[in-house]
Amino acid sequence: MQPNSPFSPVERLRRLRETRLGSFVPVLLALAAIWLYFGIALPLWEFWGDQDATSIRFIFLSPRNIYNLFMQSAVIATLAVGITVVLLLGEIDLSAAATAGVCAALLGVLVLAGIPGWTACLIVMAVGVAMGAAQGLLIAYVGIPSFVVTLAGLLGYQGLMQKILPTGNLNISDPFVRAIARILVPDIWGLLLATLLVVAIAALALRRQAERKLRGLELDTATTLWGQVAFFAIIVFAAVLTMNAYRSVPLLIILLTGVTAIVGWVTTSTPFGRSIFAVGGNAESARRVGMNVKRIRVAAFGIVGLLAAIGGIFGASRYGSVSYTAFAGGSLLLESIGAAVIGGTSLFGGRGSVWNAILGALVIGSLGNGLDLSGASAADKLMFSGAILLLAVAIDALSRPAGNGQR
Amino acid sequence: MSLENNKQVGPAAPPPRLRVAGIEKRFGGVHALKGVDFEVARGEVMALVGDNGAGKSTLMKILAGALTSDEGDFFIDEKPVAISNPHDAGALGIQIVYQDLALCENLDVAANLSLGAEPVKSGWQFLPRILRPLDDLEMEVRAQTAIDRLQVRTLKSVRAKVGGLSGGQRQAIAIARAVGAECSVVMLDEPTAALGVAQTRQVLDVVKRLRDTDHAVVYISHNMRDIFEVSDRICILRHGANVATWKTSETTADEIVVAMTAGLDNGANNAA
Ligand SMILES: Nc1ncnc2c1ncn2[C@@H]1O[C@H](COP(=O)(O)OP(=O)(O)O)[C@@H](O)[C@H]1O
Ligand SMILES: [Mg+2]
Repeated sequence: MQPNSPFSPVERLRRLRETRLGSFVPVLLALAAIWLYFGIALPLWEFWGDQDATSIRFIFLSPRNIYNLFMQSAVIATLAVGITVVLLLGEIDLSAAATAGVCAALLGVLVLAGIPGWTACLIVMAVGVAMGAAQGLLIAYVGIPSFVVTLAGLLGYQGLMQKILPTGNLNISDPFVRAIARILVPDIWGLLLATLLVVAIAALALRRQAERKLRGLELDTATTLWGQVAFFAIIVFAAVLTMNAYRSVPLLIILLTGVTAIVGWVTTSTPFGRSIFAVGGNAESARRVGMNVKRIRVAAFGIVGLLAAIGGIFGASRYGSVSYTAFAGGSLLLESIGAAVIGGTSLFGGRGSVWNAILGALVIGSLGNGLDLSGASAADKLMFSGAILLLAVAIDALSRPAGNGQR
Repeated sequence: MSLENNKQVGPAAPPPRLRVAGIEKRFGGVHALKGVDFEVARGEVMALVGDNGAGKSTLMKILAGALTSDEGDFFIDEKPVAISNPHDAGALGIQIVYQDLALCENLDVAANLSLGAEPVKSGWQFLPRILRPLDDLEMEVRAQTAIDRLQVRTLKSVRAKVGGLSGGQRQAIAIARAVGAECSVVMLDEPTAALGVAQTRQVLDVVKRLRDTDHAVVYISHNMRDIFEVSDRICILRHGANVATWKTSETTADEIVVAMTAGLDNGANNAA
């Protein structure tokens, strides 16, 4: 199993993506390429091409823009995390954005009717779970392909959203709901939180290593161990410092990180999460070892519903309004699925991670943001997004294990 | 072909650990099992033979709870039991190596070996079991023990993804999963079909070791030499029905092949 013969580039790619950190590499490269292009190459190009320019303006990489980028990508990221869970099962959810739309619209109507913001949020989350699980029941117990069920869900929920919002637009002024996107964590708290996180991760990694030694298991090399901690530390501190440089870390981003951490933990570190991967890898094997495949499917679709609802709440909070085009009728669905796939989660099931979905959302967000800044048209944006998505799926298809070609 | 009476395995045989009677199974229009009787005792290797499509795998899946029979009775130590899902079979001490191995290629060796029975850390009682933290170090320890016992020397790490392993290594993992669990009955469905000579030898050694440790072993194979080497009795299925069950020491490979392909003319029904 250890590489002892020369591998083709495709084989190398496949092996790279099997490792924990390796799965981040393609999406990080994509992100770096986009940031380099819009952040450095494009401004330099414009500076040299323009005789009158007196200084280079690095707008894209300014803390202000990065801050906005994070905020813009938050809703996509939330939905992408949910969609990742069903992709892991080898299913798809086309209704996530419409579910988010219904939930956001419902939230607006509820708070308008005088229901306290937090109660409304809980109600909406329960509704989201029900909407997702209902589709899951049809998929698991009636046996309709998820593509068809959620396509019907997409249409039905779009209609439902229009019924709830006949005008197609509703302003939300509830202080609780608005606070989610408005509250900023003081700079010093942001840094403290980041430090705590990194220390906790390092401590956990060291404890694990000690336990491995105690039990006589093979040990991670020091490079792997500290590489992981350093990788994590760099990302956390870079994000916090950048956001502090413009304003501070918004509560929204912390909530998003928290939600992702919980979903990430459930999918990788619990028997339930293990069963999701098992079903995605080989549903018949999972069934034969006694896993309740149907219930797992329903639960996974319930989770997408929950995350769609949370995405709806985040969106409503950030925009201060709910509109049909911002959710159900717009590009949110394709951007979220794109984010999950660009993050490296396989469309064929059984491989991927919710953290990658966050990076994928940043890729999609950066692309849109950068093209906006450089004055590209909506048409250009669509074509670029399509090309990136295609590239991601091609990488996915190429890096599938050999001998697994048919499905 | 003439059959002497003493060839038949009757009530003199040891009491079976697992016995089934009258197993019926239909897949739509296909009548895959037509009232099959089968049994296996502790400390015995029962070979199950028959042409492709005879119903061997279907019978094994029913015994493992992966399929439910349309009709039939199950007995453990002659006490009636129900096997309607894989958990029932596991609880009764029945383990199986499926013909297609039933591994998840996207998971690592340790995860595959604990699949469906993952250990969780203690002290999270407030959470439902499926949401408690996995004890993945315990999983690795168990995997390492199971692999070491099988002596799969080529397997370097229990953290390797199964998708990257060779056919022989996968077979070993599927066998390790079955024999690593607490069990009294082990069923191996064509475990050597994809293996070379040396690896086949290892599997046969495992089968003998299981018998010597008082397990009841069911061994399915098309290789007569292997069957005559390890088995104590041979059960022959044809077109989803019993043909005969003979003591290995009292029959020959030719006789088995004829019974497998043509059945018995004189209708001797001597299943134990
Ligand atoms: N899931 C299934 N659906 C329909 N027919 C099946 C299924 N599984 C097995 N069969 C049929 O049942 C018969 C017995 O198959 P099997 O038990 O696999 O035979 P063997 O293992 O002895 O080669 C065959 O005719 C096969 O086509
Ligand atoms: Mg078979």
